[in-house]
Amino acid sequence: MNGMTIMIGQDRSEAHRLANGLNARLISTPSAGDDGAWIRWREAIDAEPRAERIVVALFPERWDPAGLADLAFDAWIARGEAPLLEWMMALGAAGSLCADGGAIVAVADAPPPLDSAGLAPEAAIAEGVAALVRSLALSEGKRGVRANTVTTPSRLLSGPPIAPDPPLRGFPGTLEEDVLGAVRLLLSPDAAHLSGHCLPADRGRSW
Amino acid sequence: MVTGKERPSVIVTGASGGVGRGIALACGEAGWTVWIAARRPAQGEAVAAEVSALGGVGRFVACDVAEEASVAAAITAAVAEDGRLDGAVHNATSEQSATRHATLPDFTMEEMLHQVAVSVRGSYLLARLAYPHLRKSRGALLLLTSEAGFEGKARLPVYAGVKAAQRGLGRALAREWGPDGIRVNCIAPLATTPALVEAFARDETMKARVMGRNPMGRLGDPMQDIGRAARFLLSPDSAYVTGHTLMADGGSCPVT
Repeated sequence: MNGMTIMIGQDRSEAHRLANGLNARLISTPSAGDDGAWIRWREAIDAEPRAERIVVALFPERWDPAGLADLAFDAWIARGEAPLLEWMMALGAAGSLCADGGAIVAVADAPPPLDSAGLAPEAAIAEGVAALVRSLALSEGKRGVRANTVTTPSRLLSGPPIAPDPPLRGFPGTLEEDVLGAVRLLLSPDAAHLSGHCLPADRGRSW
Repeated sequence: MVTGKERPSVIVTGASGGVGRGIALACGEAGWTVWIAARRPAQGEAVAAEVSALGGVGRFVACDVAEEASVAAAITAAVAEDGRLDGAVHNATSEQSATRHATLPDFTMEEMLHQVAVSVRGSYLLARLAYPHLRKSRGALLLLTSEAGFEGKARLPVYAGVKAAQRGLGRALAREWGPDGIRVNCIAPLATTPALVEAFARDETMKARVMGRNPMGRLGDPMQDIGRAARFLLSPDSAYVTGHTLMADGGSCPVT
């Protein structure tokens, strides 16, 4: 095992900022919707050396809140189905890449349940990611791998859309302050016995 | 039992067997009209006949839940016949939940896409296309999820992922559609179904794992234990229940 931290994410600002903050090597994912590229990418991952810490942070294209009843089929595919599929591929890669005794942390956009109206695709993806990570915690735990999730509303919302206000000021937080801190915690030895958890980095908006 | 113009009309996807059949029969015994929306006409027609035999009105309509045109045609047929739609149930699930047991790194993209299409896309299509009719009736949408969607599954990770995604979708829709008077809930069943029987046969240790944590010591009956709970969530008896996931699992799942 080496002490390397690998981040799996798109080649865009958010992933670079997180990778820099974690001193991680970024493995970029293919473009959204290019299934052939994703399949080749996934095969190539198996040739990579295993690492102690894997962070998976996929940040799909941002969409304005919109009711599901008004969401056309193509928009649903782009906003809901394709990102969920890419999360499955990326987390499968994380399971392959993570060394015995290592740690996996997924970072996903998520609206707090109270604020999820208009963000149904994002809410669906976030719940799916948490369950996928719990599945990794169960399957890879046998070889000492921990797997946890951090969720953030920081890209989805600019403030609480409905009352009451969150208990802590500054909602919805930032990647640098809220997300990086939670990821560092879950990667650290202080979390050596935590696995399968989902930590909402949302200033207390959800539980 | 309701009759005539007061008879609610519901559509249930994947109702040609298993839990979907159980939900259809439970609604049928209350006198409801139940549209069996499924791909298999022979099995679907048979369940429709069972619904009618119990005092309801059973009808079969061909439906591939992953195809927009097919879901639209099924809903159009139901509304054209009954003039109303009071409930929509997305029960259809990929057969992979019974036949494909592996850890997440071993799943192919094609396998993942199939499960996403049936469970999550199917939920989206049924919800969006039923919405105008449910708004008119102030009806209910019900999504079939699973304990796997709460706690994950080591060898059913994709199933766990899509079942959780359905729950997230449902919870958000409950907030979106509450002002329209539409309720959106999920139910997480554990029942004796052909899929579970096949899964037990394929995985020798699975039955011991499933039953070992079930305080009631038995699997649920698709009609009596799951169908009637689902009927509650579709009926006015649950008029103030929305955004909820009802665990109809005999107490098996330790987290909700």
